[in-house]
Amino acid sequence: MKKFSRRRGVLTTALSAYEVELLTSLVRQVVELVSDGEPEGFAPPGEDADPFEALAKDLAVDPDDPEVPDDPVLRRMFPNAYPHDADASSDFRRFTERGLRTKKVADATVVLDDLAATDHGSSDLKVVPEHVDAWLRTLTGVRLAVATRLGITDAESADHLSQLDEQDPRSYMVSVYDWLGFAQETMVGAL
Amino acid sequence: MMESVSETGAPSVTPAGGTAVAERPLEQVVPDVPWVTIVWDDPVNLMSYVAHVFSTYFHYPKAKSERLMMQVHNEGKAIVSSGSREAMERDVTAMHEYGLWATLDKAEE
Repeated sequence: MKKFSRRRGVLTTALSAYEVELLTSLVRQVVELVSDGEPEGFAPPGEDADPFEALAKDLAVDPDDPEVPDDPVLRRMFPNAYPHDADASSDFRRFTERGLRTKKVADATVVLDDLAATDHGSSDLKVVPEHVDAWLRTLTGVRLAVATRLGITDAESADHLSQLDEQDPRSYMVSVYDWLGFAQETMVGAL
Repeated sequence: MMESVSETGAPSVTPAGGTAVAERPLEQVVPDVPWVTIVWDDPVNLMSYVAHVFSTYFHYPKAKSERLMMQVHNEGKAIVSSGSREAMERDVTAMHEYGLWATLDKAEE
Protein backbone atom coordinates (compact mmCIF):
# COMPACT_ATOMS: atom_id res chain seq x y z
CA MET A 1 0.00 0.00 0.00
CA LYS A 2 0.95 3.60 -0.38
CA LYS A 3 0.50 6.00 2.46
CA PHE A 4 -2.91 7.55 2.99
CA SER A 5 -3.48 10.91 1.36
CA ARG A 6 -6.35 13.29 1.92
CA ARG A 7 -8.52 14.34 -0.98
CA ARG A 8 -11.36 16.71 -0.17
CA GLY A 9 -11.38 15.47 3.41
CA VAL A 10 -11.52 11.80 2.44
CA LEU A 11 -8.52 9.64 3.36
CA THR A 12 -7.56 7.58 0.36
CA THR A 13 -5.10 4.83 -0.46
CA ALA A 14 -4.83 1.87 -2.80
CA LEU A 15 -4.69 -1.64 -1.37
CA SER A 16 -3.90 -4.83 -3.26
CA ALA A 17 -6.42 -7.67 -3.24
CA TYR A 18 -4.10 -9.50 -0.87
CA GLU A 19 -3.91 -6.55 1.54
CA VAL A 20 -7.71 -6.21 1.58
CA GLU A 21 -8.03 -9.92 2.30
CA LEU A 22 -5.38 -9.81 5.02
CA LEU A 23 -6.84 -6.84 6.84
CA THR A 24 -10.39 -8.19 6.53
CA SER A 25 -9.25 -11.46 8.05
CA LEU A 26 -7.40 -9.78 10.92
CA VAL A 27 -10.34 -7.51 11.75
CA ARG A 28 -12.71 -10.49 11.70
CA GLN A 29 -10.41 -12.33 14.10
CA VAL A 30 -10.54 -9.42 16.52
CA VAL A 31 -14.34 -9.33 16.22
CA GLU A 32 -14.45 -13.04 17.06
CA LEU A 33 -12.09 -12.59 19.97
CA VAL A 34 -14.04 -9.65 21.36
CA SER A 35 -17.34 -11.48 20.86
CA ASP A 36 -16.00 -14.68 22.39
CA GLY A 37 -15.64 -15.23 26.10
CA GLU A 38 -19.00 -13.59 26.49
CA PRO A 39 -21.84 -15.37 28.24
CA GLU A 40 -23.60 -17.98 26.07
CA GLY A 41 -25.81 -16.45 23.41
CA PHE A 42 -23.09 -14.29 21.94
CA ALA A 43 -22.01 -16.44 19.02
CA PRO A 44 -18.88 -15.33 17.21
CA PRO A 45 -19.97 -14.01 13.82
CA GLY A 46 -19.02 -16.30 10.98
CA GLU A 47 -18.11 -15.33 7.44
CA ASP A 48 -21.53 -14.00 6.56
CA ALA A 49 -23.00 -13.37 9.97
CA ASP A 50 -24.22 -9.91 10.72
CA PRO A 51 -22.28 -8.59 13.73
CA PHE A 52 -25.32 -6.62 14.79
CA GLU A 53 -27.34 -9.81 15.08
CA ALA A 54 -24.73 -11.11 17.45
CA LEU A 55 -24.89 -7.87 19.38
CA ALA A 56 -28.64 -8.04 19.70
CA LYS A 57 -28.27 -11.51 21.19
CA ASP A 58 -25.57 -10.29 23.49
CA LEU A 59 -27.71 -7.50 24.82
CA ALA A 60 -30.43 -9.99 25.67
CA VAL A 61 -28.10 -11.90 27.97
CA ASP A 62 -28.27 -11.08 31.66
CA PRO A 63 -25.12 -9.33 32.74
CA ASP A 64 -23.23 -11.39 35.26
CA ASP A 65 -19.95 -10.83 37.01
CA PRO A 66 -17.37 -10.33 34.31
CA GLU A 67 -13.99 -11.59 35.38
CA VAL A 68 -10.53 -10.69 34.27
CA PRO A 69 -10.21 -12.41 30.88
CA ASP A 70 -7.84 -15.36 30.49
CA ASP A 71 -6.73 -14.29 27.03
CA PRO A 72 -3.80 -11.87 27.22
CA VAL A 73 -5.13 -9.92 24.22
CA LEU A 74 -8.44 -9.34 25.99
CA ARG A 75 -6.62 -8.46 29.21
CA ARG A 76 -4.81 -5.75 27.26
CA MET A 77 -8.00 -4.53 25.56
CA PHE A 78 -9.98 -4.49 28.81
CA PRO A 79 -7.43 -3.66 31.49
CA ASN A 80 -8.25 -3.28 35.17
CA ALA A 81 -9.42 0.28 35.69
CA TYR A 82 -8.48 0.25 39.39
CA PRO A 83 -5.07 -1.41 39.67
CA HIS A 84 -5.18 -1.36 43.49
CA ASP A 85 -8.82 -2.29 43.99
CA ALA A 86 -10.07 -5.61 42.64
CA ASP A 87 -13.66 -5.00 43.75
CA ALA A 88 -13.88 -1.62 42.07
CA SER A 89 -12.27 -3.07 38.92
CA SER A 90 -14.85 -5.83 38.87
CA ASP A 91 -17.69 -3.30 39.25
CA PHE A 92 -16.18 -1.21 36.48
CA ARG A 93 -16.08 -4.26 34.20
CA ARG A 94 -19.68 -5.08 34.97
CA PHE A 95 -20.80 -1.63 33.92
CA THR A 96 -18.49 -0.97 30.98
CA GLU A 97 -17.13 -4.12 29.36
CA ARG A 98 -20.27 -5.04 27.46
CA GLY A 99 -20.47 -1.54 26.02
CA LEU A 100 -16.78 -1.61 25.13
CA ARG A 101 -17.13 -4.92 23.31
CA THR A 102 -20.18 -3.59 21.46
CA LYS A 103 -18.26 -0.47 20.48
CA LYS A 104 -15.30 -2.46 19.18
CA VAL A 105 -17.56 -4.63 17.04
CA ALA A 106 -19.38 -1.55 15.68
CA ASP A 107 -16.03 0.08 14.83
CA ALA A 108 -14.85 -3.12 13.11
CA THR A 109 -18.05 -3.25 11.07
CA VAL A 110 -17.31 0.24 9.68
CA VAL A 111 -13.83 -0.95 8.64
CA LEU A 112 -15.10 -4.19 7.09
CA ASP A 113 -17.71 -2.28 5.07
CA ASP A 114 -15.13 0.22 3.77
CA LEU A 115 -12.80 -2.66 2.85
CA ALA A 116 -15.63 -4.48 1.07
CA ALA A 117 -16.37 -1.30 -0.92
CA THR A 118 -12.94 -1.56 -2.57
CA ASP A 119 -14.14 -4.72 -4.34
CA HIS A 120 -10.99 -6.70 -3.49
CA GLY A 121 -8.78 -3.69 -3.96
CA SER A 122 -9.89 -2.92 -7.52
CA SER A 123 -10.95 0.56 -6.42
CA ASP A 124 -9.30 2.90 -3.92
CA LEU A 125 -9.98 2.58 -0.22
CA LYS A 126 -11.84 5.71 0.85
CA VAL A 127 -12.29 6.59 4.51
CA VAL A 128 -14.67 9.49 5.11
CA PRO A 129 -14.04 11.74 8.16
CA GLU A 130 -16.88 10.15 10.16
CA HIS A 131 -15.17 6.75 9.79
CA VAL A 132 -11.65 7.81 10.71
CA ASP A 133 -11.84 7.16 14.45
CA ALA A 134 -13.49 3.77 13.92
CA TRP A 135 -10.58 2.92 11.62
CA LEU A 136 -7.93 4.16 14.04
CA ARG A 137 -9.48 2.32 16.98
CA THR A 138 -9.82 -0.87 14.95
CA LEU A 139 -6.26 -0.72 13.63
CA THR A 140 -5.16 -0.24 17.24
CA GLY A 141 -7.12 -3.30 18.33
CA VAL A 142 -5.61 -5.41 15.57
CA ARG A 143 -2.11 -4.14 16.36
CA LEU A 144 -2.58 -4.86 20.08
CA ALA A 145 -3.73 -8.39 19.23
CA VAL A 146 -0.83 -9.09 16.88
CA ALA A 147 1.69 -7.53 19.28
CA THR A 148 0.43 -9.58 22.20
CA ARG A 149 0.66 -12.81 20.17
CA LEU A 150 4.20 -11.84 19.18
CA GLY A 151 5.10 -11.28 22.83
CA ILE A 152 5.72 -7.55 22.48
CA THR A 153 5.54 -6.39 26.07
CA ASP A 154 8.11 -3.61 26.19
CA ALA A 155 10.55 -1.67 24.08
CA GLU A 156 13.19 -4.41 24.33
CA SER A 157 10.95 -7.20 23.03
CA ALA A 158 9.74 -4.92 20.22
CA ASP A 159 13.34 -4.17 19.33
CA HIS A 160 14.31 -7.83 19.41
CA LEU A 161 11.53 -8.76 16.96
CA SER A 162 12.59 -6.11 14.50
CA GLN A 163 15.93 -7.92 14.12
CA LEU A 164 14.59 -11.41 13.48
CA ASP A 165 16.15 -13.69 10.94
CA GLU A 166 14.06 -14.12 7.79
CA GLN A 167 13.85 -17.84 8.50
CA ASP A 168 12.21 -17.21 11.85
CA PRO A 169 8.57 -18.38 11.75
CA ARG A 170 7.53 -15.12 13.43
CA SER A 171 9.01 -12.92 10.73
CA TYR A 172 5.83 -12.99 8.64
CA MET A 173 3.69 -11.75 11.54
CA VAL A 174 6.30 -9.10 12.28
CA SER A 175 6.00 -7.84 8.70
CA VAL A 176 2.21 -7.76 9.11
CA TYR A 177 2.63 -5.82 12.34
CA ASP A 178 4.91 -3.31 10.61
CA TRP A 179 2.44 -2.97 7.74
CA LEU A 180 -0.40 -2.23 10.20
CA GLY A 181 1.78 0.38 11.89
CA PHE A 182 2.49 2.00 8.53
CA ALA A 183 -1.21 2.10 7.69
CA GLN A 184 -2.09 3.69 11.04
CA GLU A 185 0.81 6.13 11.08
CA THR A 186 0.07 7.46 7.60
CA MET A 187 -3.64 7.65 8.39
CA VAL A 188 -2.95 9.88 11.42
CA GLY A 189 -0.40 11.82 9.35
CA ALA A 190 -2.96 12.55 6.63
CA LEU A 191 -5.51 14.02 9.04
CA MET B 1 -15.94 17.96 36.78
CA MET B 2 -16.55 19.76 40.01
CA GLU B 3 -19.24 22.34 40.06
CA SER B 4 -18.01 25.88 40.24
CA VAL B 5 -19.94 28.80 41.61
CA SER B 6 -20.24 31.91 39.53
CA GLU B 7 -18.48 34.83 41.15
CA THR B 8 -21.03 37.27 39.83
CA GLY B 9 -24.01 34.98 40.15
CA ALA B 10 -26.99 34.72 42.45
CA PRO B 11 -26.77 35.96 46.02
CA SER B 12 -25.69 33.30 48.44
CA VAL B 13 -28.31 31.71 50.67
CA THR B 14 -27.69 32.38 54.31
CA PRO B 15 -28.82 29.61 56.67
CA ALA B 16 -31.33 30.74 59.26
CA GLY B 17 -29.35 29.24 62.12
CA GLY B 18 -26.57 26.92 63.20
CA THR B 19 -28.70 23.81 63.37
CA ALA B 20 -29.71 24.12 59.73
CA VAL B 21 -26.07 24.01 58.73
CA ALA B 22 -25.33 21.03 60.96
CA GLU B 23 -28.12 19.01 59.39
CA ARG B 24 -27.05 19.48 55.80
CA PRO B 25 -25.93 16.25 54.18
CA LEU B 26 -22.18 15.94 54.18
CA GLU B 27 -21.85 15.73 50.39
CA GLN B 28 -23.37 19.18 50.00
CA VAL B 29 -20.63 20.66 52.13
CA VAL B 30 -17.63 18.64 50.99
CA PRO B 31 -17.04 18.59 47.22
CA ASP B 32 -16.22 15.33 45.46
CA VAL B 33 -12.79 14.00 46.19
CA PRO B 34 -10.96 14.64 42.92
CA TRP B 35 -9.96 11.66 40.84
CA VAL B 36 -7.55 11.42 37.95
CA THR B 37 -7.29 9.46 34.70
CA ILE B 38 -3.82 8.04 34.11
CA VAL B 39 -2.58 6.83 30.71
CA TRP B 40 0.34 4.38 30.82
CA ASP B 41 3.07 3.85 28.29
CA ASP B 42 2.86 0.75 26.13
CA PRO B 43 5.13 -0.51 23.36
CA VAL B 44 2.40 -0.76 20.71
CA ASN B 45 0.53 2.52 20.44
CA LEU B 46 2.06 5.03 18.06
CA MET B 47 3.09 8.40 19.48
CA SER B 48 1.17 10.24 16.76
CA TYR B 49 -1.95 8.22 17.55
CA VAL B 50 -1.76 8.83 21.31
CA ALA B 51 -1.51 12.60 20.72
CA HIS B 52 -4.41 12.35 18.25
CA VAL B 53 -6.56 10.62 20.88
CA PHE B 54 -5.87 13.35 23.46
CA SER B 55 -6.77 16.04 20.92
CA THR B 56 -9.87 14.24 19.64
CA TYR B 57 -11.38 13.05 22.91
CA PHE B 58 -10.34 15.77 25.36
CA HIS B 59 -10.26 18.57 22.75
CA TYR B 60 -6.86 19.61 24.09
CA PRO B 61 -4.82 22.00 21.95
CA LYS B 62 -2.18 20.24 19.86
CA ALA B 63 0.69 21.43 22.05
CA LYS B 64 -0.91 20.09 25.25
CA SER B 65 -1.76 16.75 23.61
CA GLU B 66 1.83 16.35 22.43
CA ARG B 67 3.25 17.33 25.81
CA LEU B 68 1.07 14.72 27.56
CA MET B 69 1.97 12.11 24.94
CA MET B 70 5.69 12.81 25.48
CA GLN B 71 5.19 12.55 29.24
CA VAL B 72 3.59 9.11 28.79
CA HIS B 73 6.44 8.11 26.51
CA ASN B 74 9.30 9.42 28.68
CA GLU B 75 7.98 8.97 32.21
CA GLY B 76 5.83 5.89 31.66
CA LYS B 77 2.55 7.57 32.54
CA ALA B 78 0.73 10.87 32.62
CA ILE B 79 -2.35 12.29 34.28
CA VAL B 80 -4.54 13.29 31.35
CA SER B 81 -7.68 14.50 33.14
CA SER B 82 -9.13 15.07 36.59
CA GLY B 83 -12.57 15.44 38.08
CA SER B 84 -15.29 13.42 39.75
CA ARG B 85 -14.97 9.66 39.95
CA GLU B 86 -17.90 9.28 37.56
CA ALA B 87 -16.29 11.57 34.98
CA MET B 88 -12.97 9.74 35.29
CA GLU B 89 -14.69 6.39 34.74
CA ARG B 90 -16.11 7.84 31.54
CA ASP B 91 -12.66 9.03 30.45
CA VAL B 92 -11.02 5.68 31.28
CA THR B 93 -13.72 3.87 29.32
CA ALA B 94 -13.10 6.13 26.33
CA MET B 95 -9.34 5.54 26.55
CA HIS B 96 -10.00 1.78 26.55
CA GLU B 97 -12.18 2.25 23.46
CA TYR B 98 -9.18 3.85 21.78
CA GLY B 99 -6.95 1.00 22.92
CA LEU B 100 -4.89 3.06 25.34
CA TRP B 101 -3.95 1.55 28.69
CA ALA B 102 -5.69 3.79 31.23
CA THR B 103 -6.57 3.58 34.91
CA LEU B 104 -8.15 5.89 37.44
CA ASP B 105 -7.01 6.79 40.90
CA LYS B 106 -7.62 9.31 43.65
CA ALA B 107 -5.75 12.53 43.09
CA GLU B 108 -2.74 12.88 45.35
CA GLU B 109 -3.11 15.53 47.99
